[in-house]
Amino acid sequence: MDTYAAATELAYPEISEIFADVFQHAGPLTRGTSPEDVSRWDSLQHIALIRALETTFAVRLSMDEMMEIRSVGDIERVLGRHGV
Amino acid sequence: MSSSSLDMPRPPSTVRGASAPVSDDKIGEIVDAVIDAAPECVRKRVLLPAIDWALVPPHKVSLLVSSLDQARLPLPRWLAKPLLLAGHTLSSAARDALPGALAVLSRLNDAAGEPDEREALAASLEGLAYASDIDADTAVALVRRLLALSWDDEALRFALAQAHSAPQALRLAGGAFERHLADLPRLRIRMSGSSTTRVLADALHPAFGVEGWRTEISESSFGGVIGDLLSPPDDVDALVVLLDTDGLLATDWRREVQDVERIAAERVDMLGQALQVFSSQAAVPLLINTLPVPSRPTVGLLDRRHGAGLRRIVDSLNARILDAAAASARVIVVDADQALSGLAARDHVDPKLWYYGRIGYSHEATQCFARAFAEAWRIVQRGPVKVLAVDFDNTLWGGIYGDDGVDGLACGEDFPGNAFQALQQECLRLKAQGLLLVALSKNEAGALDAFEQHPGMVLKADDFAAHAVNWQPKADNLRRIAADLNLGLDSVLFLDDSPHEREAMRRLVPEVTVPEMPDDPAERPGWLRRLSATWPARLTAEDASRPAVYAARRAAQELQARAASFEDYLSALEQRLALSFVSERTVARTAQMHQRTNQFNLTTVRLGEADISALAADPTRGFALLGQVSDRFGDHGLVVAATVDIDGAEATIRTLLMSCRVIGREVERAFVGALVGELASRGVARVRGIYVPTAKNGMVRDFYQSCGFSPTGGEGSGTVWTFAIGDTEPPGSTYVTTSWER
Repeated sequence: MDTYAAATELAYPEISEIFADVFQHAGPLTRGTSPEDVSRWDSLQHIALIRALETTFAVRLSMDEMMEIRSVGDIERVLGRHGV
Repeated sequence: MSSSSLDMPRPPSTVRGASAPVSDDKIGEIVDAVIDAAPECVRKRVLLPAIDWALVPPHKVSLLVSSLDQARLPLPRWLAKPLLLAGHTLSSAARDALPGALAVLSRLNDAAGEPDEREALAASLEGLAYASDIDADTAVALVRRLLALSWDDEALRFALAQAHSAPQALRLAGGAFERHLADLPRLRIRMSGSSTTRVLADALHPAFGVEGWRTEISESSFGGVIGDLLSPPDDVDALVVLLDTDGLLATDWRREVQDVERIAAERVDMLGQALQVFSSQAAVPLLINTLPVPSRPTVGLLDRRHGAGLRRIVDSLNARILDAAAASARVIVVDADQALSGLAARDHVDPKLWYYGRIGYSHEATQCFARAFAEAWRIVQRGPVKVLAVDFDNTLWGGIYGDDGVDGLACGEDFPGNAFQALQQECLRLKAQGLLLVALSKNEAGALDAFEQHPGMVLKADDFAAHAVNWQPKADNLRRIAADLNLGLDSVLFLDDSPHEREAMRRLVPEVTVPEMPDDPAERPGWLRRLSATWPARLTAEDASRPAVYAARRAAQELQARAASFEDYLSALEQRLALSFVSERTVARTAQMHQRTNQFNLTTVRLGEADISALAADPTRGFALLGQVSDRFGDHGLVVAATVDIDGAEATIRTLLMSCRVIGREVERAFVGALVGELASRGVARVRGIYVPTAKNGMVRDFYQSCGFSPTGGEGSGTVWTFAIGDTEPPGSTYVTTSWER
């Protein structure tokens, strides 16, 4: 795990709320958190995650970005690129 | 659907992310300076929106509000909202200028949870529940606050009423919502669609919960519409079918244009015939949507005229759906254009969801459909209200009879009286549709004569089935009238422009439906048309006897005479299964299928490209088999796969999986039949199949049994099935033509 992924403080605190809401995930969240750590993060709930990100941050994610997101760190990178 | 009516710029993350109260650091000093300069900042609309008010102590917020007050500036809504969402309270003066939801939120932020506060806020909360203009952020904040006060009942009621515009509010009230559902009547729904139905299935549960049903939803296999229509399951209370344009009408343009037209017509015909069969024989009610007007034409300007034009095809399909509804009251049609009227047409579909998972509608559109299906069900089951009780002053006319006199009342052809006249027209429309009109006005008895004396009134005194024009409380009047008319109070809708009268009615006669009416009279006629509590459940007897109905019934009978059935449908499909061993070209697709298939997957072993290539390397030890399926409508591609290990006279099916696109059409039987045949030709005597249960593959639990395999014990968490070649007839299907590509 690189240092970026190991950092614990998220740049977007809203992500914790989204994970609680979409995946009922109450555990710790780091940039390295991936579908393997979140039991409900399957391909169908992935849609709900994308949807929550789009509404919370008022962005529209592309198909590529939808595939790119494989961890919390990916979410931050994608959001950062949107200038959020 | 916008999540917020106020477009607040997002605050920069440096302020939001501050972990300590802002007063402790440099940013705190800046915030203090901004608050000091509040009047200037409000006038120029700068800086203040960037502050995270949750981190600002209450006394500084008071400072801000009082400095605006001294500068004689009203607290603007764009500032009040984030203050309240952050949990601050406002003075009663500042509060009174705010819209209802924010005013109530301010009072809640103040509340300590005492019973008398709860009592005092009850009616305001009840009124708020019916408001149609609360944005999602505010609704969520209200529910959070109510839950924090442990006022669970209020939180739930409010969340239920706002569920359509703020579904996350209902999720917040989760525990209370589930307890609420437990007491509701059960409704077993079978759901199928022309594309993925899971997103709608998830949305139906809360939507029906709001209307008063606890749903148990089972989903048909992918694209199982025709099958469900021709042989509806008998253990459900309702069938829900979600049709979408891409799933139903996707066209293969490699064909000649004439063929495209013909195939489109055949598809429309197939669904139309299935609907006719359904409407002539099914006992279970069907909720089905029309297709919305397409916004992506296939023949541009000529889309509505050309035989391959999407609009033209959609129109003809919709006509068939309406024919079926005309033929049977069990077919309940949700008009897509009406259900989606709040959305721009380009937002009906989210292309990436379509390409990702064949989800035919955007999230917003799916929510609209869920609501429309649930509302349609409520209307058909419970019918509309029977009585429209309506106020006079500033509701049926502009002005106050007692103050302005008959001649001073606004109602007529000219502005602004025309908006009031239009509302009277809507009352007459509802009367014509069977509602009783009741006059409920706090007025001198003479006010009733205004309908005859004023030239602009289209309603007349004798349009009212009953009236109470006096100074008694409206609740008492309404109780008396309902008793006289022998109608339950729960069948009454009450319209009044006064929030106080509405609150009083809700408090004193909770059975009565009391919607929040728009403040602007211009909005009211259209609002009343959209109010689903007034929508008629069925057409009048006259409508039902229209010739079209008979024509549709006749057609359905003819079709039945031809013994139309699911089997006929399958044979009409002309399915072809092309088998081949995995090659270099197809190994990637095979591996991908192994990663992605969950439902029709017997062992859910996730073989990768290397595993599959290894199998293909030595034909005596095993093989990987692929099936490509096509039918008269087009090519489904490589959709079924199996890997087999051979050990002398015994073979074991290591993996067997199929894409949900073709489930339920006997392709799986034909495939296993071909697989068994291939093994027999290689000298295998016994074929072992293993079923390993997972959370998602329950649909194939009995698959091997249905193919003639016998149970021969267990292996780990799985069950083992064995097929003895020669003893048992290999499975197959008369509806699938099999060919080999070697």
